[in-house]
Amino acid sequence: MIFRIARKEMTEMIRDGRFRVSAAIVFALLAGSLLLGWHHYREIRAQHIAAQQATREQWLKQGNKNPHSAAHYGVYAFKPTAPLSLVDHGTDPYTGVAVWLEAHKQNEFKYRPAQDATAVQRFGELTGATVLQLLLPLLIVLLTFNAFAGERELGTLRQLVSLGVKPSDLALGKAVGVAGSLLLLLIPATIAGSIAITMASGGEETAAALPRAGWMSLGYLLYFGAFIGGSLAVSAFASSSRAALIALLGFWMFNGLIAPRAASDIAKSLRPTPSAFEFGQKMELALKNGADGHDPADARNKKLEEDLLKKYKVDKVEALPVNFAGMRLQEGENHGNEVFDHAYADLWSVFAQQDAVHRVLALAAPGLAARSISMGFAGSDFPQHAHFAKAAEDYRRMLQRTMNADLIRNASNTAPYFAGDDLWAKVPAFEYTAPAANWVAAQQTSAFGILALWCCAAVAAAVWTARRMQVY
Amino acid sequence: MKHEWRNLSADRAPLAISLLLGAVIAYGAFNGSRWVKFQRQTIASALTEERGRYAEIREEMVQVEAGEKKVSAFADPRLPQSFGRSMGLRYAYLPPAALGSLAIGQSDLYPYYFKVSTGSKQSFLNSDEIENPAHLLAGRFDLAFVILFLYPLVILAFSYNIVSGEKEAGTLALTLSQPVSLRTLVLAKVALRSLFVVALAVLLSIAGVLVGGADLSAEGSGLRLLFWIGITAAYGAFWFALAIAVNAAGRGSATNAIALAGLWLLFLVVIPSALNATVKSSYPVPSRVEMIQAMRVAGEDSTRQSSQLLARYLEDHPELAPKSKDAPPDFGTLLIAVNEATERSVQPVIDRFDSQVAAQQQMVDRFRYLSPAIVAQAAFYDLAGSSAHRYAHFLSQASTFHAQWRGFLTPRILKKEKLTPGDLDKLPTYAFREEETGAVSARLLAALIGLLAPVALVLLPALRWMSRYPVVG
Repeated sequence: MIFRIARKEMTEMIRDGRFRVSAAIVFALLAGSLLLGWHHYREIRAQHIAAQQATREQWLKQGNKNPHSAAHYGVYAFKPTAPLSLVDHGTDPYTGVAVWLEAHKQNEFKYRPAQDATAVQRFGELTGATVLQLLLPLLIVLLTFNAFAGERELGTLRQLVSLGVKPSDLALGKAVGVAGSLLLLLIPATIAGSIAITMASGGEETAAALPRAGWMSLGYLLYFGAFIGGSLAVSAFASSSRAALIALLGFWMFNGLIAPRAASDIAKSLRPTPSAFEFGQKMELALKNGADGHDPADARNKKLEEDLLKKYKVDKVEALPVNFAGMRLQEGENHGNEVFDHAYADLWSVFAQQDAVHRVLALAAPGLAARSISMGFAGSDFPQHAHFAKAAEDYRRMLQRTMNADLIRNASNTAPYFAGDDLWAKVPAFEYTAPAANWVAAQQTSAFGILALWCCAAVAAAVWTARRMQVY
Repeated sequence: MKHEWRNLSADRAPLAISLLLGAVIAYGAFNGSRWVKFQRQTIASALTEERGRYAEIREEMVQVEAGEKKVSAFADPRLPQSFGRSMGLRYAYLPPAALGSLAIGQSDLYPYYFKVSTGSKQSFLNSDEIENPAHLLAGRFDLAFVILFLYPLVILAFSYNIVSGEKEAGTLALTLSQPVSLRTLVLAKVALRSLFVVALAVLLSIAGVLVGGADLSAEGSGLRLLFWIGITAAYGAFWFALAIAVNAAGRGSATNAIALAGLWLLFLVVIPSALNATVKSSYPVPSRVEMIQAMRVAGEDSTRQSSQLLARYLEDHPELAPKSKDAPPDFGTLLIAVNEATERSVQPVIDRFDSQVAAQQQMVDRFRYLSPAIVAQAAFYDLAGSSAHRYAHFLSQASTFHAQWRGFLTPRILKKEKLTPGDLDKLPTYAFREEETGAVSARLLAALIGLLAPVALVLLPALRWMSRYPVVG
């Protein structure tokens, strides 16, 4: 019975001009946004590969110099874009694209692409994610608001019930019907998207993108399921189709447009972001006086000197068998690393707590959970930015250690010292592997939980209200 | 009208909607003023830091001069190169404008203070504020958002069934049997509703901004507040006009609601994002990744030829050459020559950026009239001082200050002079000057016209269609 109803609903919808027009608009926007995303992705990827090679080349061919000069010269790490970011740019426009890995300092990422755009960008970007998170739910609302209320107004609902159709079958059948019509729209788009990803990136990247795409689709299906169930419930519950429509449109706007902004400000007031100025001052102070404030740099150097003199049983730095400057530099790096670890761990935990607030708010607006899942599996959310930043920082530390180790071993305490190409080549090229889909899935567990809860609750509500609804 | 008012006040829905609007306006004003306060505090603590540092430098200069304290060349505050590159840096900053709490706008994305040094501009121009990027992506819940996105919804909720509702209730034919035309009836109904909603939005937002600590004594802020009222009213009028036009088509209330929701989506989501995509692909900004590479290559080239560069630089500026010709150039002097050469060769790349971004802005300025929402957004950001225009104004002042800073220190570096505590008082100081009110008003006036024109464009034909409205059947 459920499938018979579903088939009737689908046939009716496909024959309905309004569905055809709105579906065509949504499909055109989806295809257009995927095309834009594909173009953007290909461009960024080519730039990234070229820049990564260039910075490596520069490092290898920097000529003879002191290893510490080379450490200051450093390299750049450029953030790669993930293949699925062609569906969802996520926070990519709002995080920097490159970080300079130099001596003494963990730098911030520089150059946020959004800074090179106009204020129109703040209305939101036309991406696959916008269409899927904002427009498709609207289409669902328009398809379902009069599913029961409309039949009631036409009087066909009474006929149906008199035929002995179970209201719960009716609700499920209608849900399956709407879902089926949407799939007619989504399946071609998914196929086109997969082809685009395969064409734009190498085989390895495509293989890594597949499980991510699977998870992302699951997230979206749950999200659409929640909308279909919820709309049917409202349609069965509402006194008229007009009332159902107004309520559903109100919820759609709250979910898609109000909740994200409100969530930012609520999260910010519960867990304020420190100012960059405050962050910088604190870090500077910690670098100067030690992480606990009782370990100033001068005293540290003095102690290192005394320890070394004692260890090698000599009376002056010049007589040490190891290079004192190198030891001091590495000591400075070690101290700095401790300070940076503290500072960034604090900052990132603020962001993580803010994101947790967003997830709690997703209990009121499922769009927040869908956004989190979508960005997460697209590889364009903040945790994955931090993952890259961590990898880049580890590389920086390795590079500094290599330089300082060479100084300690080979440099003299009295004469100038220069190293050459062999030392530069000892530092391997920076390779970054994005985290696997499971890593993201572990982070998105609660978002999935909330969406699943929404979906189940919505479908149950649809069945429940259908059983109890007034038929006339 | 009196009758309508009675009708409206008897219904509970308008009251609930008004309360909701009041609540979101209050929340938006609160968020805006909190952000302004945050920026003011940050700037204040930066200036306190600068004052403290200068007091220390003054003391240190005396001690080092007297030989009481020994420091390395990099940490000697008397050396203009160390002072100008790291120790004595001064802040150039963009204070939030008087009405800054109306719109956070782009101000959460652009750095609002720089630590100006003798180094290249690119070395200090990106002191970004820390923010969770998810918040930048979503945007903020400020008054501009409330007026741009939510206030139209309130208007549509009040007016989507302005005629169709009466028709469905059966009262339309009855009312029109009186000596009153449909046009008059609609205008009266809309006039009442618009007076109510617009007055509510305007009064509450002004109250919110004033409570949030806006400074109305600042020059031009009264005029800007008037523009806020005017633009809010005109933007509201546009949505009322749309509601009338949709009602005039003579369909049912549900169809009207769908059509109006679709128009809302069109003007607030589809057109802006399509315009954004078009602008970006018409004038693509070159990649910053390439710029970084260009700067690095240029820096290296100039370091390699630094001694030649210095000779050329001193040829160009013979008055700055040190007196004894045989003295070897020191690090500070070499750096000036290297910096200048690097900046000269990177300038074309930076110019390309600036010209593309400017072209994008121009295209947005021209095509914003496609959606009243974009017109209103640009105007709100402009009058709240969080627009690209005011930011460009700030950048040019920071640039001027950077040039003054270098102009003061470079000759002293080249002449190998040492700074004295007395010099600290002669250093260039930074003070932000607001953009001229005239320039801002001209832009705001254009926006106001750009909003009123579509109102007329929609309303006049709509009223004509009204005469053909199927009152019965």
